Amino acid sequence: MSAREAILDPLFNKNPVLLQILGICSALAITNSVLTSLIMSMAVTAVLAFTNVCISLIRNHLPNSVRIIVQMTIIASGVIVVDELLQAFAPDVARTLSVFVSLIVTNCIILGRAEAYAAQHNVRMSLLDGIGNGLGYSLVLIVVGSIREILGSGTWLGFTIMPVVYEGGWYIPNQMMLLAPSAFFIIGLIIWLLRSWKTGQVEEREFKEINLAKAGRQL
Amino acid sequence: MNNDSPKKALLVVFLVALFCSVLVSVASILLKPIQQRNQLIERSKNVISLTGLAKDSAALSNDAILAAIKLLDIRVINIDSGEFASDLNAAEFDSRAVVNDPELSIAIPAELDIASLSRRSRYEIIYLVWDGNTLSRVILPIVGTGMWSTIRGYIALQNDLNTIAAVSFYEQTETAGLGDQIERPDWQAQWQGRKLFDSQGRLRFRVGPGTIAPNSPASSYQVDSLSGATVTSDAVTRIVAYWFGANGYKRFLDQLDAHPAVKAAAADATGGSTS
Repeated sequence: MSAREAILDPLFNKNPVLLQILGICSALAITNSVLTSLIMSMAVTAVLAFTNVCISLIRNHLPNSVRIIVQMTIIASGVIVVDELLQAFAPDVARTLSVFVSLIVTNCIILGRAEAYAAQHNVRMSLLDGIGNGLGYSLVLIVVGSIREILGSGTWLGFTIMPVVYEGGWYIPNQMMLLAPSAFFIIGLIIWLLRSWKTGQVEEREFKEINLAKAGRQL
Repeated sequence: MNNDSPKKALLVVFLVALFCSVLVSVASILLKPIQQRNQLIERSKNVISLTGLAKDSAALSNDAILAAIKLLDIRVINIDSGEFASDLNAAEFDSRAVVNDPELSIAIPAELDIASLSRRSRYEIIYLVWDGNTLSRVILPIVGTGMWSTIRGYIALQNDLNTIAAVSFYEQTETAGLGDQIERPDWQAQWQGRKLFDSQGRLRFRVGPGTIAPNSPASSYQVDSLSGATVTSDAVTRIVAYWFGANGYKRFLDQLDAHPAVKAAAADATGGSTS
C-alpha cells in the first residue's frame, strides 16, 4: 500500500464509519454542532496517530498474551492527554463534549486500527494510516454535524444560515436534529448514497428470500 | 528473548505502564494551572453578568473578567447559621470540593432534600455588589439535580432580598433542544423582577405551565415553564425552593436584611416611592 492510499483510502473506499460501521456511538452523540464535531475529529485523529505510532514502535516486542491490554493502556493514556489538553486550551468545547472525550478510549476505530494495522506495519505507514482513518472519521462527523446544526439550530459553525423564530427570524428549527437519533438517519442515508456510488461496498446478503409460491408447492 | 515468555511479557507491560504514567502525569501537572484559570474565568463570567455592572459581559476579555472579579465583595457564609464565615478564605474555598468532607459538609435528610442533592457544603461563596455604601445586589449560587444530572446556576437578588434581578444557569446536561433551554437568555430574562416571597414571607416562586395574566397575583412569583421540559422546569422550582427555604439561604437573608447597609437601601427605596 502506498502512502497516498493509506491517507486517502479511509475517506471513501474504506471509511471506518461508513464501511466498517465503527465509531458510531460518538458519531451519534456529539454531532449536534459543527464545532463539537470538529474538535472531536481532531481529538480522535490525534489519538489514532499517537496510538498507531506507539504500537507500531513496539510491534516486534508485543507479547501475544497481553497484547490487547498493552494496546488499551497506550490508547487510554493518549486519550487522557488529549482530554487534559482540551480542558486547558478549549474549555468551552471540552465542557460540551463532557464524557465523550474520555469515551474515545472505547472508540472501536482506535483499537481496530492498532490491531489490524499498526501491529504489523512500520512506524511511518502506521502514522499515515492513523491520520487517514482519523480523516475518514472526521469527514463523516463534519458532514453529519453540518446537516444537524443547519437544520437543528439554523447556524453553521455558529454563523446564522437561517434565522430562527426565537431570535425573530422565520426558520422553525427541527429539534429532532439536536437529538442523537437523527444522526442514525443521516448516517444511514450517507451509507446508502455511498454504496449507490461505490457498489463494491454493498455486502453480500447473509440469507436469501425464499420464493413462497415455489416453497408452497414443494410442501 | 521469546515474546511470549512470562519474563518478556512482564518487562514489556512494566515499561509501557511506566511510559504511560509518566506521560499522563506530566500532562496533568503542566496543564493544571491553565485549567484552574479556565474554571475561575468560567465561574467569574457568570457572576459578573449578574452584577448588573458590565453592560455587555459576553464581550469582556478573560483578563478583564479576572480583574473585575477581584473588585467584587466575595464572602464565605455559613449556610446553617446564616453568618459570614470570616475564618475561611473566599479565594480558596470551593464548595464543590468539600461536599464529601464530613467536617465541612452535611448530609441532607431525605424528606428535606427537595433539590436531590443528598449532601451539601455547610459553607458557600456569595457575592455582594455595593453601590457606594449601600448594597445593590447579592448573588447566590444554587445547585440541584435536574432531569439527567446536576444543574448549577446563580440567582442575583435586588437589595430588598426578595426581587430577582437576574438568573444564570451555567452547568446542566438537560435534554438537548428541550430542557437545555434553561440556558436561553430570553427565558432567563423572564425571571427578572419576579419575587421569591410574598408579604407573609412564604416562598411562592415557581416555574409553572401556562401563560400568566400580567396582573394576576401569581404573575409576580411565576416564570413560564419550558414546553416539553416538565421535569427540568419542576427541578428548577424545587432547587429554588430548597435554596431559599429554611435549610438554604433563608437564615442568611434574614440576617442580611437586618444589616445597616441593607436597611439604608430599603429606606431609600421607600423614600423614593412616596415622594
